[in-house]
Amino acid sequence: MLAIQHLKVSYGITQVLRDVTFEVPAGKIVALLGGNGSGKTTMLNTLSGVVRCSGGSILFEGKECAGLSADNMVRRGIVQVPQGREVWPSMSVQDNLELGAATRRDWGAMRADLDEVYAMFPKLAAVRKRRAGSLSGGEQQMVAIGRALMARPRCLLMDEPSAGLAPTIVGDMVDTILALNRRGLTILLVEQNIGVAAAVAESAHILQGGEITFSGPAAGLVDNDEVLRSYLGR
Amino acid sequence: MELLVYLLLSGLTTGSLYALIALGIVVVNKATAVINFAHGELFMFSGFVAWMLHVQMGVPYLPSLLAAVAFGFLLGAATDLIAFRPLKNANIISLVLATIGIAFMLRGTARVIWGGKGDYLPFPPITSPEPIMIGGIMVIPQQLAVLAGSIVIMVAFAAFFRLTRAGKMMQATADNAKAATLAGIRIDRIYMLSFGTGAAIAGAAAALMAPLTLLYPDMGFSFFIKGFAAAVLGGLTSLPGAVLGGISIGIIESLAGGYLHSSFIEVSAFIVIMFVLVVRPTGLLGSTRFRRV
Repeated sequence: MLAIQHLKVSYGITQVLRDVTFEVPAGKIVALLGGNGSGKTTMLNTLSGVVRCSGGSILFEGKECAGLSADNMVRRGIVQVPQGREVWPSMSVQDNLELGAATRRDWGAMRADLDEVYAMFPKLAAVRKRRAGSLSGGEQQMVAIGRALMARPRCLLMDEPSAGLAPTIVGDMVDTILALNRRGLTILLVEQNIGVAAAVAESAHILQGGEITFSGPAAGLVDNDEVLRSYLGR
Repeated sequence: MELLVYLLLSGLTTGSLYALIALGIVVVNKATAVINFAHGELFMFSGFVAWMLHVQMGVPYLPSLLAAVAFGFLLGAATDLIAFRPLKNANIISLVLATIGIAFMLRGTARVIWGGKGDYLPFPPITSPEPIMIGGIMVIPQQLAVLAGSIVIMVAFAAFFRLTRAGKMMQATADNAKAATLAGIRIDRIYMLSFGTGAAIAGAAAALMAPLTLLYPDMGFSFFIKGFAAAVLGGLTSLPGAVLGGISIGIIESLAGGYLHSSFIEVSAFIVIMFVLVVRPTGLLGSTRFRRV
């Protein structure tokens, strides 16, 4: 569904992504792991059209998407849930969600989608008039996910959804990711938390120094000594 | 007592105009973190457009005002295209200098079209110029018209900002531009819309103010300073703050002129800017987070 081939990204003279190739098959959850500065967020921002690539290709549903603007990526169906939630803090929960559909004009279907988001996150329905900035971290994460869903994505890019959440609700996040996948969403998950990645993803790729250094099934990750050594340094 | 009420009323009237100018400055600053130093000239230019239509071509007042609003919008959008968009990634000093460049270009153009320095063009009052007495207070009907007009514009703008999708997109971009980009909002367009909307409000203010005073090509800067003082007082990023700041500056000026000396009218805005920056840099309703200005 999403095929990244020989992707290269540079900031000035610094090459952040050297030659990245991997695939996200339709209906699957794929994890992209890596330490700080490995290029994970750059990868997602390139897929979101925020960062321009200097070479390679991004094929989504068979069509070339490299170089498209951010709004066109959203229109094609690739939507990112950014790291650190990044809600619009001074706006209401409802406004946050409604603007997730900024690229859409099918007002009737948007209403239905909004109801669906509230059904999925009943907590949000109770606080729909509240300022998003006044919510807890977990609730803000729900707003960020709900907002992305309002764009009707076919492929969801999630940047460290478990980061900064209380350990007790990381489990809820795992359930949410699995629920989204069951609804047919293809998910590319960027994670530092290898446990979360192993719990949800089918396959995993490890990005190090701008290159994929490991690809394999996600389930075995936690037991894979080689991976733990190279990735976690232990 | 009558003097006080009179001064308060006239302060409220000019203050409401300052509030409109400040709103335009804040709308642009909220979205782009830039102070548009051409804002006063956008105001002046739109005022002259209203004057040309109304006085020279005999167009009725209301359509002239709407034309000034539309013209202000276009001029603001052009400011974005010329001075902001190409320099978006440049440092703040370059951006501010670019808007100052626009200000000089507009002022020069206005001098060529509408006369040299010292030419003051009258704009006929839209209501009877005779003062009327309401409950023993002398009121100039034109002031009431200006006040009412300002309130209508503020309400219309608040409705646009809070209720329409475009207004919400502006707010979202101001809140978190990265999240707006990721949601598929074309923030370049939103910046243009912000410059345009800010200047459109200035255009409305100019057309409202014109019948109270005289127009001259160099008027922009002095009104910009009043609006800027009001925006600083209100916190630079708060829309209600801009309105509150504008009305406060208007009343401070009016009281200072009435009770101290008329020479205080012009300097009181500067005194307020200095005082606010020293005592409370975030203004009355400003957010405490620091911006890149």
